[in-house]
Amino acid sequence: MIAAKGLHKRYKQTVAVDDLSFEVRPGVVTGFLGPNGSGKSTTMRLMLGLDHGGGETLFDGERFTDIRRPMNRVGALLEAKPFHPTRSARNHLKMLASANGITDARIDEVLETVGLGPVKRKQPKGYSLGMAQRLGLAQALLGDPRTLLLDEPTNGLDPHGIHWMRDLLKQLATEGRTVFVSSHLLSEMQLMADELVVIGRGQMIFNGDVDDFVREFTQSSVIVRGPDADAFVPVLEAEGATVTKGGDGELVVSDMAIGAVGHLAFTEGVELSELSTRSASLEEAFMSATGAAEQFVAREPVPATTTGGARHA
Amino acid sequence: MLDALRFEWTRLRTLRSTYWMVGSGLVASAAIPLTLGIAAGSEPLNADSVNLGLNGGASFVIPFLAVFMAVVGIFATGHEYRHGTIQPTLTALPQRSRLILAKILTVAGLTAAVTLVSIAINATLMLALWGGVPGLFDDPVRSALLGYVAYNVVYTLVGLGLGLLFRGVPSALVVIFLMPLIIETLFVGLTMVPALDWLAPVVRFLPFTAGSELMLTSAAEFGPAAPDYDFFDRWASGGVFAVFAALIIIAAWTLFKTRDA
Repeated sequence: MIAAKGLHKRYKQTVAVDDLSFEVRPGVVTGFLGPNGSGKSTTMRLMLGLDHGGGETLFDGERFTDIRRPMNRVGALLEAKPFHPTRSARNHLKMLASANGITDARIDEVLETVGLGPVKRKQPKGYSLGMAQRLGLAQALLGDPRTLLLDEPTNGLDPHGIHWMRDLLKQLATEGRTVFVSSHLLSEMQLMADELVVIGRGQMIFNGDVDDFVREFTQSSVIVRGPDADAFVPVLEAEGATVTKGGDGELVVSDMAIGAVGHLAFTEGVELSELSTRSASLEEAFMSATGAAEQFVAREPVPATTTGGARHA
Repeated sequence: MLDALRFEWTRLRTLRSTYWMVGSGLVASAAIPLTLGIAAGSEPLNADSVNLGLNGGASFVIPFLAVFMAVVGIFATGHEYRHGTIQPTLTALPQRSRLILAKILTVAGLTAAVTLVSIAINATLMLALWGGVPGLFDDPVRSALLGYVAYNVVYTLVGLGLGLLFRGVPSALVVIFLMPLIIETLFVGLTMVPALDWLAPVVRFLPFTAGSELMLTSAAEFGPAAPDYDFFDRWASGGVFAVFAALIIIAAWTLFKTRDA
């Protein structure tokens, strides 16, 4: 169990983390979401005492900096390539293991687990980002910890690697471990996470089940198709529904339940070929929840004819 | 604390640069008695020349071994930031003071051991080239060699402190080379200008210059134009150097405790 209370971090005029409190339960994967610059990495560093700020985080009741041989209790992966380029992967882990009473056999075991066994004695300066992430995960798993904190662990992994990582983290959670993982791959998070902590501009936006998050920040829509669908629009709007036209000519109806739409079609004698609901994705919920909390907003793409880009090409 | 020492020792011995620095220091240091022996092997040895051969020219030219070991000291802390390993280091060993203390003890211990090995190598070379090392275990050579070990350890700790203070390698390297070789040499040179001879009393407080007093078997020669610098005795001068190292380490340690990793 992780219990974060009143985490706070300020860089001069900027508040990076603003009084964040949340709990991460064991036995489930908890996703940590937020737009770029929202304070996810800073929060994780605060939790581990790497950054100084306000508040405290307890790992099974103890602060990280008070834990003797912490790798046996909490495993962390925070940066993409945190190793010396000429120290072999095995020696890198051996160095960390030596401070935590971890055996050489365990080092070899985790290197095999993450797939780096064949290159464990080679210098990691030529590692791809994916291989570096695997070494980082090996580092986090080294002490067989009850708690894992992983910052963007799927960065740089190929689709097989992402699939493997997802299965591994879910497996670790089912073993009763506490798994707290940040990612910007929302589709992955939807498949992996059971619970979410969502922040924006350092502030808490949501803490709870993934399904609750999607429900809270999106609306389910009703899809209507039929030969007289256009004629059905004013009828629906007169009853208070919001109607938009989809790309394939279907009507997307919100603010009205599917049963009410079906009943209205029946009473008005409108022929329908499709009446279904469309649930929102985690990505849609995320966009809805964090839209106002984005720190770095990119300009919308402008068609090439407007900018003259095609002429310059 | 034992865990921290184990960590630091493993860190040191799994780095290729440690072996390069130690090896280069030993070779550079051994080159002095070898060159002297080949060039002047028939000349009789006095305390100054025995000392010079055993400390590899440190008391006269450049303290080769100290410089190479100082780089090991800089790497002990500077590499952590240069390669981002400070993050895994602090997740493996989050007690910051324990980590720094382990670095100090390990690097100081290694430097002392390497210096003793260097003295042994140089003594062997002198034995082979001159057929003996007169006064090796007698004063003033004995005290000068103990001072040489202390000098190298303090020099290395200055490097360690600078690496931690600047949180990187290049700035620390610049300072550790610039200060003794250029700044202090320039300062001593200025005291020889008659109009600036009032600077002379400060020379005994210049850390690297004062530290050099640790290794001497006779008073240092600064040339005919040099005023009397009235240096402290061997160990008090070493104390000046040690206080300088301590100030850098205390400043770096304090900042390390309060800074983000």
